[in-house]
Amino acid sequence: MKIRGSDKAGEKIEPQMAPMIDVVFQLLIFFMLTLKIIEPEGAVNVNMPSGEPTSSANDPLLTPIKVRLISNESGQLVELLFGGAPKGNGEAAYVALNKEIRDYVDNLQASGAPMDDVEAEIDADPELHWNHTMKAISAVRGHLDTSQNPARVVPLIEKIKFAPPREEGGGTAG
Amino acid sequence: MRFKKPTSNVPEVDMTPMIDIVFQLIAFFMVITNFEQAKADERVKLPRDPLVEPPKSKAEKELVVNIGFLRDKDGNKTDPTPYVFDGNGDNYTVDLYAPRLRSEAQFFQGEPDTELKDVLVSIRADADVPHGDVTRTVQYAQDAGFERFAFKATQESRP
Repeated sequence: MKIRGSDKAGEKIEPQMAPMIDVVFQLLIFFMLTLKIIEPEGAVNVNMPSGEPTSSANDPLLTPIKVRLISNESGQLVELLFGGAPKGNGEAAYVALNKEIRDYVDNLQASGAPMDDVEAEIDADPELHWNHTMKAISAVRGHLDTSQNPARVVPLIEKIKFAPPREEGGGTAG
Repeated sequence: MRFKKPTSNVPEVDMTPMIDIVFQLIAFFMVITNFEQAKADERVKLPRDPLVEPPKSKAEKELVVNIGFLRDKDGNKTDPTPYVFDGNGDNYTVDLYAPRLRSEAQFFQGEPDTELKDVLVSIRADADVPHGDVTRTVQYAQDAGFERFAFKATQESRP
């Protein structure tokens, strides 16, 4: 008895590759065109002033940390003050600020005071360019421990708030 | 007399390696395509910070506010006034953006199981935007009822 189709046994069935290749190339071109090289972004969480006295204001051990950023009219940093003491301008000012904050936190931890209540206040002139404010926030938030590989972020002060806005053109006043 | 079966002169190209490579390329582009940052405006040149790290988990409810300058193709500023770039292509000065923030707050309040205190306002401010414009934006957002804020920065390469 002859079985239908038995003569086709062993024939190789070749699928149609052309449509799949068309679609795959379309996908490839789509992803290539929509590709945007974006540098990785991170976020800094900041507490805003509520106008109410904080717990640290009542604690003699936790004097509020005040960072004052004085700007010129073109928005560049003229002077950085930490607790009223001038730290200069430029990158060295942020390095000095970071060192002051590290010493402050070390002393605080040595005294056994809780770190959760420590708060820093950034008081900047309204004309100051935002990148200066972010550098000051970065110097207060922590520092990079480059002795480890990869470099590790050592947190210092997590709570950062802004002072109430100053009037425009009110710079140079400490 | 027996004739030899004619063979086809068309050589068959082996497609398998090419398809393998193309699939690899598609997978590569799919992985590196960042759909999450679709709300980021290219005109905003963020400040650089070595401490910031990409967030491990994305905020469930987020309002992204892009504050920057109008720039030409080369990236030069064409207007010294900072603007808030709306996702719809409209530009507002910081003060004129306050009503938009109020309507955004109403939109979030209208969503089920959403409270304004849970909404994260991510501010993407250009490095050259004056500090006062950023704090005013925050103030308007606070007046609208938002409570959580985050400032975006580009991760600087670490030593």
